[in-house]
Amino acid sequence: MPIPLYGFLQGDTVGLLILADEGETVQSLARKLQDAGSLRVAFRDQVHLVYNDRAMDPALTVAQAGLQALDRFDVISA
Amino acid sequence: MLSREEWLPLARKLDWDYSYVREDEVFPEVISGRPWLPHSEWKDWEESFKTSYREYVDNQYEKDMAVYAVRDAVGRIENAQKLALPWMNSLKVHAAALPLAEFTGVIGNLRGARFGRDSAWRTMATFGALDEYRHTQIPLLLFHELVKFDSQFDWAHKFYHTNNWFAVAARHFFDELTVGQNAIEFHIATNFVFETGFTNLQFVGLASLARESSDHMFERMVTSIQTDEARHAQIGHPVLATVMKHDPGYVQYLVDKWFWRNWRLFSILTGISIDYLTAVDQRPYSFKEFMEEWIIDQFLSSLDEFGLQKPWYWDLLMDELDIYHHMIYASAYSYRATLWFNFVIPGPAERKWLRQKYPKYWDDMDAVWEQVSERWRTVGPGPENEFAVHGTAMPTFCDLCQLPLSAGTPRKNTARVHIHEGRKYIFCSEPCQWIFSREPERYANHKDVVKRVLSGEAPAQLPDLLTEYFRLTPETWGKDVYHGNYEWLGARKTSAT
Repeated sequence: MPIPLYGFLQGDTVGLLILADEGETVQSLARKLQDAGSLRVAFRDQVHLVYNDRAMDPALTVAQAGLQALDRFDVISA
Repeated sequence: MLSREEWLPLARKLDWDYSYVREDEVFPEVISGRPWLPHSEWKDWEESFKTSYREYVDNQYEKDMAVYAVRDAVGRIENAQKLALPWMNSLKVHAAALPLAEFTGVIGNLRGARFGRDSAWRTMATFGALDEYRHTQIPLLLFHELVKFDSQFDWAHKFYHTNNWFAVAARHFFDELTVGQNAIEFHIATNFVFETGFTNLQFVGLASLARESSDHMFERMVTSIQTDEARHAQIGHPVLATVMKHDPGYVQYLVDKWFWRNWRLFSILTGISIDYLTAVDQRPYSFKEFMEEWIIDQFLSSLDEFGLQKPWYWDLLMDELDIYHHMIYASAYSYRATLWFNFVIPGPAERKWLRQKYPKYWDDMDAVWEQVSERWRTVGPGPENEFAVHGTAMPTFCDLCQLPLSAGTPRKNTARVHIHEGRKYIFCSEPCQWIFSREPERYANHKDVVKRVLSGEAPAQLPDLLTEYFRLTPETWGKDVYHGNYEWLGARKTSAT
Protein backbone atom coordinates (compact mmCIF):
# COMPACT_ATOMS: atom_id res chain seq x y z
CA MET A 1 0.00 0.00 0.00
CA PRO A 2 1.66 3.32 -1.04
CA ILE A 3 2.18 5.90 1.67
CA PRO A 4 0.99 9.43 0.74
CA LEU A 5 3.49 12.06 1.89
CA TYR A 6 3.84 15.82 1.61
CA GLY A 7 7.12 16.53 -0.17
CA PHE A 8 8.81 19.94 -0.21
CA LEU A 9 11.69 20.39 -2.63
CA GLN A 10 14.02 23.27 -1.83
CA GLY A 11 13.68 25.89 -4.56
CA ASP A 12 10.12 24.89 -5.44
CA THR A 13 6.98 27.00 -5.07
CA VAL A 14 4.50 24.34 -3.94
CA GLY A 15 4.39 21.15 -1.86
CA LEU A 16 3.69 17.94 -3.79
CA LEU A 17 1.90 14.73 -2.94
CA ILE A 18 4.39 11.87 -3.23
CA LEU A 19 3.39 8.23 -2.97
CA ALA A 20 6.14 6.21 -1.30
CA ASP A 21 6.60 2.48 -0.89
CA GLU A 22 7.66 1.50 2.61
CA GLY A 23 10.47 -0.63 1.21
CA GLU A 24 12.01 2.02 -1.03
CA THR A 25 15.06 3.90 0.15
CA VAL A 26 15.20 7.46 1.37
CA GLN A 27 17.48 8.18 -1.59
CA SER A 28 14.83 6.88 -3.99
CA LEU A 29 12.15 8.96 -2.30
CA ALA A 30 14.30 12.10 -2.59
CA ARG A 31 14.80 11.37 -6.28
CA LYS A 32 11.06 10.89 -6.73
CA LEU A 33 10.40 14.37 -5.34
CA GLN A 34 13.14 15.90 -7.49
CA ASP A 35 11.56 14.33 -10.59
CA ALA A 36 8.11 15.59 -9.56
CA GLY A 37 9.40 19.15 -9.15
CA SER A 38 11.73 19.16 -12.15
CA LEU A 39 9.56 21.53 -14.17
CA ARG A 40 10.40 24.29 -11.69
CA VAL A 41 13.63 23.21 -9.98
CA ALA A 42 16.86 22.13 -11.65
CA PHE A 43 18.15 18.70 -10.64
CA ARG A 44 20.90 18.62 -7.99
CA ASP A 45 23.14 15.62 -7.37
CA GLN A 46 23.88 16.27 -3.72
CA VAL A 47 20.76 16.47 -1.60
CA HIS A 48 19.55 15.47 1.86
CA LEU A 49 16.11 14.23 2.77
CA VAL A 50 15.06 15.91 6.01
CA TYR A 51 12.33 14.48 8.24
CA ASN A 52 11.45 15.83 11.69
CA ASP A 53 14.38 18.28 11.42
CA ARG A 54 16.93 15.45 10.86
CA ALA A 55 18.79 14.52 7.68
CA MET A 56 17.99 10.87 6.98
CA ASP A 57 20.51 8.22 6.00
CA PRO A 58 19.87 7.73 2.26
CA ALA A 59 20.21 3.96 2.61
CA LEU A 60 17.35 3.63 5.10
CA THR A 61 13.99 2.47 3.85
CA VAL A 62 10.95 4.70 4.18
CA ALA A 63 9.66 2.41 6.94
CA GLN A 64 12.99 2.46 8.79
CA ALA A 65 13.10 6.25 8.58
CA GLY A 66 9.70 6.27 10.34
CA LEU A 67 7.80 8.18 7.64
CA GLN A 68 4.05 7.74 8.01
CA ALA A 69 1.05 8.74 5.93
CA LEU A 70 0.58 12.50 5.51
CA ASP A 71 3.92 13.37 7.11
CA ARG A 72 6.06 16.17 5.72
CA PHE A 73 9.55 15.64 4.37
CA ASP A 74 11.95 18.04 2.67
CA VAL A 75 14.65 17.56 0.08
CA ILE A 76 17.36 20.18 0.42
CA SER A 77 20.75 20.86 -1.10
CA ALA A 78 23.58 19.08 0.68
CA MET B 1 -47.12 66.13 5.72
CA LEU B 2 -43.71 65.43 7.25
CA SER B 3 -40.59 66.51 5.41
CA ARG B 4 -37.88 63.95 4.56
CA GLU B 5 -35.77 65.22 7.47
CA GLU B 6 -38.73 64.70 9.83
CA TRP B 7 -39.94 61.26 8.80
CA LEU B 8 -36.67 59.50 8.02
CA PRO B 9 -35.46 59.43 11.66
CA LEU B 10 -38.87 58.01 12.67
CA ALA B 11 -38.86 55.41 9.92
CA ARG B 12 -35.31 54.27 10.70
CA LYS B 13 -36.14 53.42 14.28
CA LEU B 14 -39.11 51.08 14.38
CA ASP B 15 -38.18 48.79 17.25
CA TRP B 16 -40.70 47.75 19.86
CA ASP B 17 -40.93 45.75 23.10
CA TYR B 18 -42.10 42.15 22.80
CA SER B 19 -44.96 41.00 24.98
CA TYR B 20 -45.51 37.33 24.21
CA VAL B 21 -41.98 36.18 23.29
CA ARG B 22 -38.61 36.91 24.81
CA GLU B 23 -36.14 39.11 22.95
CA ASP B 24 -33.58 36.31 22.88
CA GLU B 25 -36.14 34.11 21.10
CA VAL B 26 -36.68 36.75 18.41
CA PHE B 27 -32.92 37.27 18.09
CA PRO B 28 -31.25 34.00 19.14
CA GLU B 29 -27.52 34.27 19.78
CA VAL B 30 -26.73 31.45 17.38
CA ILE B 31 -27.95 33.48 14.43
CA SER B 32 -27.86 37.10 15.66
CA GLY B 33 -24.34 36.61 17.00
CA ARG B 34 -22.44 37.11 20.20
CA PRO B 35 -22.16 38.73 22.61
CA TRP B 36 -25.91 38.63 23.06
CA LEU B 37 -26.97 42.03 24.36
CA PRO B 38 -30.44 43.46 25.07
CA HIS B 39 -31.72 45.98 22.53
CA SER B 40 -31.02 48.81 24.96
CA GLU B 41 -27.33 48.31 24.09
CA TRP B 42 -28.04 48.63 20.37
CA LYS B 43 -30.61 51.42 20.32
CA ASP B 44 -28.05 54.09 19.41
CA TRP B 45 -26.86 52.13 16.36
CA GLU B 46 -26.45 54.71 13.61
CA GLU B 47 -25.29 54.60 10.02
CA SER B 48 -23.28 57.58 8.83
CA PHE B 49 -24.99 57.82 5.41
CA LYS B 50 -28.78 57.71 5.64
CA THR B 51 -31.05 56.95 2.74
CA SER B 52 -34.69 56.13 2.11
CA TYR B 53 -36.02 53.36 -0.10
CA ARG B 54 -37.21 55.85 -2.72
CA GLU B 55 -33.81 57.55 -2.84
CA TYR B 56 -32.13 54.18 -3.04
CA VAL B 57 -34.24 53.05 -6.02
CA ASP B 58 -33.76 56.36 -7.86
CA ASN B 59 -29.97 56.23 -7.43
CA GLN B 60 -29.66 52.60 -8.41
CA TYR B 61 -31.82 53.11 -11.48
CA GLU B 62 -29.55 55.88 -12.69
CA LYS B 63 -26.44 53.82 -12.03
CA ASP B 64 -27.88 50.83 -13.90
CA MET B 65 -28.72 53.00 -16.90
CA ALA B 66 -25.12 54.24 -16.94
CA VAL B 67 -23.83 50.65 -16.93
CA TYR B 68 -26.17 49.70 -19.78
CA ALA B 69 -24.91 52.69 -21.75
CA VAL B 70 -21.32 51.60 -21.23
CA ARG B 71 -22.17 48.05 -22.30
CA ASP B 72 -23.80 49.33 -25.46
CA ALA B 73 -20.83 51.58 -26.20
CA VAL B 74 -17.83 49.40 -25.30
CA GLY B 75 -19.06 46.01 -24.05
CA ARG B 76 -19.33 44.14 -27.32
CA ILE B 77 -17.23 41.27 -28.59
CA GLU B 78 -15.36 43.55 -30.97
CA ASN B 79 -14.29 45.67 -27.97
CA ALA B 80 -13.09 42.60 -26.08
CA GLN B 81 -11.14 41.45 -29.12
CA LYS B 82 -9.00 44.59 -28.89
CA LEU B 83 -7.82 43.81 -25.35
CA ALA B 84 -4.35 42.40 -24.72
CA LEU B 85 -4.49 38.62 -24.22
CA PRO B 86 -2.95 38.59 -20.72
CA TRP B 87 -5.44 41.23 -19.51
CA MET B 88 -8.29 39.24 -21.06
CA ASN B 89 -7.31 36.41 -18.74
CA SER B 90 -7.25 38.69 -15.74
CA LEU B 91 -10.81 39.51 -16.74
CA LYS B 92 -11.71 35.79 -16.72
CA VAL B 93 -10.32 35.40 -13.21
CA HIS B 94 -12.56 38.15 -11.88
CA ALA B 95 -15.52 37.19 -14.08
CA ALA B 96 -15.57 33.84 -12.27
CA ALA B 97 -14.67 34.90 -8.75
CA LEU B 98 -16.98 37.92 -8.46
CA PRO B 99 -20.65 37.36 -9.41
CA LEU B 100 -21.76 34.40 -7.30
CA ALA B 101 -19.55 35.49 -4.41
CA GLU B 102 -21.62 38.67 -4.46
CA PHE B 103 -24.73 36.48 -4.40
CA THR B 104 -23.56 34.90 -1.15
CA GLY B 105 -23.39 38.48 0.12
CA VAL B 106 -27.14 38.71 -0.52
CA ILE B 107 -27.67 35.82 1.90
CA GLY B 108 -25.44 37.35 4.57
CA ASN B 109 -27.12 40.73 4.28
CA LEU B 110 -30.60 39.19 4.44
CA ARG B 111 -29.56 37.52 7.67
CA GLY B 112 -28.61 40.97 8.95
CA ALA B 113 -31.92 42.31 7.62
CA ARG B 114 -33.79 39.84 9.85
CA PHE B 115 -31.45 39.20 12.79
CA GLY B 116 -29.57 42.52 13.07
CA ARG B 117 -30.25 43.96 16.49
CA ASP B 118 -31.60 47.39 15.58
CA SER B 119 -34.13 48.45 12.95
CA ALA B 120 -31.75 50.97 11.31
CA TRP B 121 -29.18 48.17 10.97
CA ARG B 122 -31.82 45.88 9.47
CA THR B 123 -32.90 48.53 6.95
CA MET B 124 -29.33 49.15 5.85
CA ALA B 125 -28.75 45.41 5.50
CA THR B 126 -31.85 45.19 3.27
CA PHE B 127 -30.28 47.78 0.97
CA GLY B 128 -27.02 45.83 1.21
CA ALA B 129 -28.80 42.67 0.01
CA LEU B 130 -30.29 44.56 -2.94
CA ASP B 131 -26.83 45.91 -3.74
CA GLU B 132 -25.36 42.43 -3.80
CA TYR B 133 -28.10 41.20 -6.15
CA ARG B 134 -27.04 44.00 -8.45
CA HIS B 135 -23.38 42.99 -8.15
CA THR B 136 -24.34 39.44 -9.12
CA GLN B 137 -26.49 40.42 -12.07
CA ILE B 138 -24.32 43.10 -13.68
CA PRO B 139 -21.20 40.98 -14.23
CA LEU B 140 -23.28 37.97 -15.29
CA LEU B 141 -25.03 40.16 -17.85
CA LEU B 142 -21.86 41.77 -19.15
CA PHE B 143 -19.71 38.64 -19.29
CA HIS B 144 -22.45 36.51 -20.83
CA GLU B 145 -22.00 38.51 -24.02
CA LEU B 146 -18.39 37.32 -24.18
CA VAL B 147 -19.14 33.57 -23.92
CA LYS B 148 -19.74 33.47 -27.69
CA PHE B 149 -16.27 34.92 -28.13
CA ASP B 150 -14.42 32.74 -25.60
CA SER B 151 -16.01 29.81 -23.75
CA GLN B 152 -13.75 30.35 -20.71
CA PHE B 153 -16.07 33.27 -19.89
CA ASP B 154 -18.76 30.67 -19.20
CA TRP B 155 -17.01 30.22 -15.86
CA ALA B 156 -18.57 33.52 -14.73
CA HIS B 157 -21.60 31.42 -13.87
CA LYS B 158 -20.09 27.94 -13.71
CA PHE B 159 -17.14 28.47 -11.36
CA TYR B 160 -18.84 28.14 -7.96
CA HIS B 161 -20.86 25.15 -9.18
CA THR B 162 -17.72 23.08 -9.70
CA ASN B 163 -15.23 21.34 -7.45
CA ASN B 164 -12.35 23.09 -9.17
CA TRP B 165 -9.66 23.51 -6.49
CA PHE B 166 -9.85 27.29 -6.58
CA ALA B 167 -13.65 27.12 -6.37
CA VAL B 168 -13.32 24.83 -3.33
CA ALA B 169 -11.08 27.46 -1.70
CA ALA B 170 -13.30 30.40 -2.65
CA ARG B 171 -16.44 28.58 -1.47
CA HIS B 172 -14.76 27.66 1.81
CA PHE B 173 -14.07 31.37 2.30
CA PHE B 174 -17.45 32.76 1.24
CA ASP B 175 -19.51 30.02 2.88
CA GLU B 176 -17.97 31.00 6.19
CA LEU B 177 -17.92 34.74 5.57
CA THR B 178 -21.47 35.12 4.32
CA VAL B 179 -23.65 32.04 3.85
CA GLY B 180 -23.27 30.32 7.21
CA GLN B 181 -22.48 33.26 9.41
CA ASN B 182 -24.30 34.98 12.28
CA ALA B 183 -25.23 38.63 11.82
CA ILE B 184 -22.55 40.13 14.07
CA GLU B 185 -19.61 38.19 12.64
CA PHE B 186 -20.96 38.68 9.11
CA HIS B 187 -21.11 42.46 9.41
CA ILE B 188 -17.74 42.83 11.12
CA ALA B 189 -15.99 40.39 8.79
CA THR B 190 -17.71 41.46 5.57
CA ASN B 191 -18.28 45.17 6.03
CA PHE B 192 -15.35 46.15 8.24
CA VAL B 193 -12.60 43.79 7.04
CA PHE B 194 -13.60 42.59 3.56
CA GLU B 195 -15.27 45.69 2.16
CA THR B 196 -13.58 48.50 4.05
CA GLY B 197 -10.22 46.75 4.11
CA PHE B 198 -9.88 44.80 0.91
CA THR B 199 -12.34 45.69 -1.80
CA ASN B 200 -10.26 48.74 -2.65
CA LEU B 201 -7.97 46.21 -4.23
CA GLN B 202 -10.78 45.08 -6.49
CA PHE B 203 -12.61 48.28 -7.09
CA VAL B 204 -9.92 50.96 -7.02
CA GLY B 205 -6.85 48.97 -8.02
CA LEU B 206 -8.50 46.96 -10.77
CA ALA B 207 -10.46 49.92 -12.11
CA SER B 208 -7.18 51.73 -12.53
CA LEU B 209 -5.56 48.73 -14.26
CA ALA B 210 -8.60 48.32 -16.51
CA ARG B 211 -8.33 51.96 -17.54
CA GLU B 212 -4.62 51.52 -18.32
CA SER B 213 -5.51 48.40 -20.34
CA SER B 214 -8.25 50.29 -22.25
CA ASP B 215 -10.91 47.97 -20.78
CA HIS B 216 -13.55 50.64 -20.21
CA MET B 217 -16.42 48.21 -19.66
CA PHE B 218 -14.71 46.52 -16.71
CA GLU B 219 -13.53 49.87 -15.36
CA ARG B 220 -17.06 51.31 -15.33
CA MET B 221 -18.58 48.12 -13.97
CA VAL B 222 -16.33 47.92 -10.91
CA THR B 223 -16.56 51.65 -10.32
CA SER B 224 -20.35 51.41 -10.31
CA ILE B 225 -20.21 48.51 -7.86
CA GLN B 226 -17.79 50.39 -5.62
CA THR B 227 -20.33 53.19 -5.06
CA ASP B 228 -22.67 50.62 -3.46
CA GLU B 229 -19.88 49.02 -1.47
CA ALA B 230 -18.86 52.35 0.02
CA ARG B 231 -22.44 52.81 1.32
CA HIS B 232 -23.20 49.42 2.78
CA ALA B 233 -19.66 48.89 4.14
CA GLN B 234 -20.58 51.44 6.81
CA ILE B 235 -22.87 48.89 8.51
CA GLY B 236 -19.83 47.20 10.03
CA HIS B 237 -18.50 50.19 11.96
CA PRO B 238 -21.38 50.71 14.42
CA VAL B 239 -21.71 46.92 14.90
CA LEU B 240 -18.03 46.69 15.72
CA ALA B 241 -18.14 49.76 17.99
CA THR B 242 -20.95 48.26 20.09
CA VAL B 243 -19.31 44.83 20.44
CA MET B 244 -16.01 46.54 21.34
CA LYS B 245 -17.64 47.97 24.46
CA HIS B 246 -18.53 44.50 25.71
CA ASP B 247 -15.97 42.06 24.31
CA PRO B 248 -12.93 43.73 22.69
CA GLY B 249 -10.99 40.44 22.71
CA TYR B 250 -13.61 38.84 20.50
CA VAL B 251 -13.51 41.76 18.05
CA GLN B 252 -9.72 41.55 17.90
CA TYR B 253 -10.00 37.82 17.14
CA LEU B 254 -12.53 38.40 14.35
CA VAL B 255 -10.42 41.14 12.79
CA ASP B 256 -7.22 39.06 13.00
CA LYS B 257 -8.90 35.99 11.55
CA TRP B 258 -10.69 37.74 8.71
CA PHE B 259 -7.84 40.00 7.69
CA TRP B 260 -5.71 36.90 7.19
CA ARG B 261 -8.40 35.00 5.32
CA ASN B 262 -9.01 38.01 3.05
CA TRP B 263 -5.29 38.46 2.48
CA ARG B 264 -4.96 34.87 1.26
CA LEU B 265 -7.74 35.25 -1.32
CA PHE B 266 -7.09 38.79 -2.55
CA SER B 267 -3.34 38.39 -2.84
CA ILE B 268 -4.07 35.79 -5.49
CA LEU B 269 -7.02 37.45 -7.22
CA THR B 270 -5.44 40.87 -7.43
CA GLY B 271 -1.75 40.10 -7.06
CA ILE B 272 -1.49 38.07 -10.22
CA SER B 273 -3.65 40.53 -12.16
CA ILE B 274 -1.40 43.45 -11.32
CA ASP B 275 2.02 41.81 -11.46
CA TYR B 276 1.57 39.24 -14.25
CA LEU B 277 -1.60 39.69 -16.35
CA THR B 278 -1.27 43.41 -17.02
CA ALA B 279 1.26 44.50 -19.64
CA VAL B 280 4.38 45.71 -17.87
CA ASP B 281 4.22 49.20 -19.42
CA GLN B 282 0.61 49.56 -18.23
CA ARG B 283 1.21 48.75 -14.56
CA PRO B 284 0.89 51.99 -12.60
CA TYR B 285 2.25 50.26 -9.47
CA SER B 286 3.18 46.84 -8.17
CA PHE B 287 0.77 44.78 -6.10
CA LYS B 288 2.95 45.38 -3.06
CA GLU B 289 2.97 49.14 -3.60
CA PHE B 290 -0.81 49.16 -3.97
CA MET B 291 -1.25 47.08 -0.82
CA GLU B 292 0.98 49.42 1.15
CA GLU B 293 -0.75 52.58 -0.01
CA TRP B 294 -4.40 51.52 -0.20
CA ILE B 295 -4.80 48.62 2.17
CA ILE B 296 -2.16 48.57 4.88
CA ASP B 297 -2.18 52.28 5.78
CA GLN B 298 -5.97 52.49 5.67
CA PHE B 299 -6.46 49.32 7.69
CA LEU B 300 -4.02 50.42 10.39
CA SER B 301 -5.82 53.73 10.61
CA SER B 302 -9.18 51.92 11.02
CA LEU B 303 -7.72 49.70 13.75
CA ASP B 304 -6.43 52.75 15.56
CA GLU B 305 -9.83 54.44 15.33
CA PHE B 306 -11.44 51.58 17.25
CA GLY B 307 -8.62 50.92 19.73
CA LEU B 308 -7.65 47.62 18.07
CA GLN B 309 -4.12 46.22 17.80
CA LYS B 310 -2.30 45.10 14.68
CA PRO B 311 -2.90 41.38 14.07
CA TRP B 312 -0.27 39.25 15.85
CA TYR B 313 1.06 37.93 12.51
CA TRP B 314 1.75 41.43 11.12
CA ASP B 315 5.50 40.93 10.48
CA LEU B 316 4.79 37.69 8.64
CA LEU B 317 2.16 39.38 6.49
CA MET B 318 4.55 42.20 5.61
CA ASP B 319 7.08 39.59 4.52
CA GLU B 320 4.46 37.75 2.42
CA LEU B 321 3.82 40.95 0.44
CA ASP B 322 7.14 40.20 -1.26
CA ILE B 323 6.60 36.58 -2.17
CA TYR B 324 3.25 34.79 -1.61
CA HIS B 325 1.45 35.69 -4.86
CA HIS B 326 4.65 35.01 -6.82
CA MET B 327 4.81 31.49 -5.36
CA ILE B 328 1.15 30.94 -6.20
CA TYR B 329 1.44 32.25 -9.76
CA ALA B 330 4.46 30.09 -10.63
CA SER B 331 2.70 27.05 -9.11
CA ALA B 332 -0.54 27.82 -10.94
CA TYR B 333 1.31 28.32 -14.23
CA SER B 334 2.76 24.86 -13.93
CA TYR B 335 -0.72 23.44 -13.18
CA ARG B 336 -2.57 25.79 -15.55
CA ALA B 337 -4.79 23.06 -17.02
CA THR B 338 -6.49 22.83 -13.60
CA LEU B 339 -7.86 26.39 -14.03
CA TRP B 340 -10.23 28.13 -16.45
CA PHE B 341 -8.00 30.95 -17.70
CA ASN B 342 -4.70 31.23 -19.52
CA PHE B 343 -1.28 32.28 -18.30
CA VAL B 344 1.87 34.01 -19.51
CA ILE B 345 5.50 33.49 -18.56
CA PRO B 346 7.17 36.70 -17.44
CA GLY B 347 9.76 37.56 -20.08
CA PRO B 348 12.99 39.52 -19.64
CA ALA B 349 11.29 42.94 -19.40
CA GLU B 350 8.74 41.64 -16.87
CA ARG B 351 11.40 39.89 -14.82
CA LYS B 352 13.52 43.02 -14.74
CA TRP B 353 10.51 44.96 -13.47
CA LEU B 354 9.67 42.26 -10.90
CA ARG B 355 13.25 42.24 -9.66
CA GLN B 356 13.12 46.00 -9.14
CA LYS B 357 9.79 45.81 -7.31
CA TYR B 358 10.50 42.63 -5.32
CA PRO B 359 14.27 42.48 -4.74
CA LYS B 360 14.04 40.49 -1.50
CA TYR B 361 13.22 37.07 -2.97
CA TRP B 362 13.31 37.56 -6.72
CA ASP B 363 16.53 35.56 -7.24
CA ASP B 364 14.69 32.43 -6.11
CA MET B 365 11.65 33.13 -8.28
CA ASP B 366 13.83 33.95 -11.28
CA ALA B 367 15.44 30.51 -11.02
CA VAL B 368 11.97 28.92 -11.21
CA TRP B 369 11.01 30.87 -14.35
CA GLU B 370 14.36 30.09 -15.93
CA GLN B 371 13.72 26.39 -15.38
CA VAL B 372 10.19 26.58 -16.83
CA SER B 373 11.50 28.54 -19.82
CA GLU B 374 14.19 25.92 -20.36
CA ARG B 375 11.52 23.23 -20.59
CA TRP B 376 9.72 25.19 -23.35
CA ARG B 377 13.04 25.59 -25.16
CA THR B 378 13.62 21.85 -24.95
CA VAL B 379 10.21 20.71 -26.17
CA GLY B 380 9.51 23.63 -28.49
CA PRO B 381 6.42 25.83 -28.69
CA GLY B 382 2.98 24.69 -29.73
CA PRO B 383 -0.35 23.65 -28.23
CA GLU B 384 0.64 19.99 -28.59
CA ASN B 385 3.45 20.56 -26.07
CA GLU B 386 1.37 22.17 -23.33
CA PHE B 387 1.42 19.06 -21.14
CA ALA B 388 5.16 18.60 -21.61
CA VAL B 389 5.50 21.90 -19.70
CA HIS B 390 3.02 21.03 -16.99
CA GLY B 391 3.19 19.51 -13.52
CA THR B 392 2.31 15.84 -13.18
CA ALA B 393 2.52 15.16 -9.42
CA MET B 394 -0.51 16.25 -7.41
CA PRO B 395 -0.05 19.69 -5.80
CA THR B 396 -1.10 19.91 -2.15
CA PHE B 397 -3.52 22.19 -0.31
CA CYS B 398 -3.92 23.88 3.08
CA ASP B 399 -6.60 22.44 5.37
CA LEU B 400 -7.73 25.94 6.34
CA CYS B 401 -7.57 28.26 3.32
CA GLN B 402 -7.74 25.31 0.85
CA LEU B 403 -5.14 27.04 -1.32
CA PRO B 404 -1.89 25.42 -2.50
CA LEU B 405 0.88 24.89 0.06
CA SER B 406 2.83 27.78 -1.44
CA ALA B 407 3.61 29.93 1.60
CA GLY B 408 7.06 30.85 2.83
CA THR B 409 9.79 31.04 0.21
CA PRO B 410 11.24 28.63 -2.35
CA ARG B 411 14.07 28.05 0.11
CA LYS B 412 11.78 27.27 3.05
CA ASN B 413 8.12 26.41 2.65
CA THR B 414 6.23 27.15 5.89
CA ALA B 415 3.69 24.29 5.69
CA ARG B 416 3.13 22.55 9.02
CA VAL B 417 1.50 19.26 9.96
CA HIS B 418 -0.89 19.36 12.93
CA ILE B 419 -2.71 16.49 14.66
CA HIS B 420 -6.23 17.15 15.94
CA GLU B 421 -8.20 14.36 17.61
CA GLY B 422 -5.98 11.73 15.99
CA ARG B 423 -6.32 13.10 12.47
CA LYS B 424 -3.51 14.78 10.52
CA TYR B 425 -4.01 18.20 8.99
CA ILE B 426 -1.56 20.38 7.10
CA PHE B 427 -1.57 24.17 6.99
CA CYS B 428 0.30 26.54 4.70
CA SER B 429 1.22 28.92 7.49
CA GLU B 430 1.09 29.64 11.21
CA PRO B 431 -1.96 31.95 10.95
CA CYS B 432 -3.99 29.30 9.08
CA GLN B 433 -3.13 26.75 11.78
CA TRP B 434 -4.02 29.31 14.47
CA ILE B 435 -7.45 29.98 12.94
CA PHE B 436 -8.14 26.23 12.76
CA SER B 437 -7.07 25.73 16.36
CA ARG B 438 -9.37 28.49 17.63
CA GLU B 439 -12.47 26.91 16.05
CA PRO B 440 -11.66 23.30 15.08
CA GLU B 441 -15.33 22.29 15.23
CA ARG B 442 -15.95 24.69 12.33
CA TYR B 443 -13.20 23.38 10.04
CA ALA B 444 -12.18 19.84 11.04
CA ASN B 445 -14.58 17.92 8.81
CA HIS B 446 -13.83 19.78 5.59
CA LYS B 447 -11.63 17.81 3.20
CA ASP B 448 -9.12 19.55 0.96
CA VAL B 449 -8.72 18.27 -2.62
CA VAL B 450 -5.84 15.92 -1.74
CA LYS B 451 -7.87 14.26 1.04
CA ARG B 452 -10.77 13.87 -1.40
CA VAL B 453 -8.49 12.11 -3.87
CA LEU B 454 -7.02 9.86 -1.16
CA SER B 455 -10.48 8.92 0.12
CA GLY B 456 -11.70 8.11 -3.40
CA GLU B 457 -14.19 11.01 -3.56
CA ALA B 458 -12.24 12.61 -6.40
CA PRO B 459 -10.37 10.87 -9.26
CA ALA B 460 -6.64 10.38 -8.81
CA GLN B 461 -5.71 10.57 -12.49
CA LEU B 462 -5.14 14.11 -13.79
CA PRO B 463 -7.32 13.85 -16.94
CA ASP B 464 -10.27 12.54 -14.91
CA LEU B 465 -9.70 15.09 -12.17
CA LEU B 466 -9.75 17.92 -14.74
CA THR B 467 -12.85 16.82 -16.60
CA GLU B 468 -14.99 14.94 -14.07
CA TYR B 469 -14.23 16.81 -10.88
CA PHE B 470 -13.00 20.26 -11.94
CA ARG B 471 -15.54 20.32 -14.83
CA LEU B 472 -13.00 21.58 -17.37
CA THR B 473 -12.75 20.58 -21.02
CA PRO B 474 -9.85 20.70 -23.48
CA GLU B 475 -11.37 23.91 -24.79
CA THR B 476 -11.68 25.63 -21.43
CA TRP B 477 -8.76 24.41 -19.34
CA GLY B 478 -5.92 26.85 -18.87
CA LYS B 479 -3.03 27.07 -21.30
CA ASP B 480 -0.05 29.27 -21.98
CA VAL B 481 -1.47 32.26 -23.87
CA TYR B 482 1.25 31.87 -26.49
CA HIS B 483 1.77 28.08 -26.15
CA GLY B 484 5.40 28.79 -25.36
CA ASN B 485 5.93 30.80 -28.52
CA TYR B 486 7.81 33.75 -27.03
CA GLU B 487 10.32 35.56 -29.16
CA TRP B 488 12.67 35.96 -26.21
CA LEU B 489 12.69 32.20 -25.60
CA GLY B 490 14.85 31.84 -28.68
CA ALA B 491 17.64 33.62 -26.86
CA ARG B 492 19.57 31.20 -24.70
CA LYS B 493 19.96 33.41 -21.63
CA THR B 494 16.78 35.16 -20.46
CA SER B 495 17.54 36.07 -16.86
CA ALA B 496 17.01 39.78 -16.45
CA THR B 497 19.34 41.19 -13.84
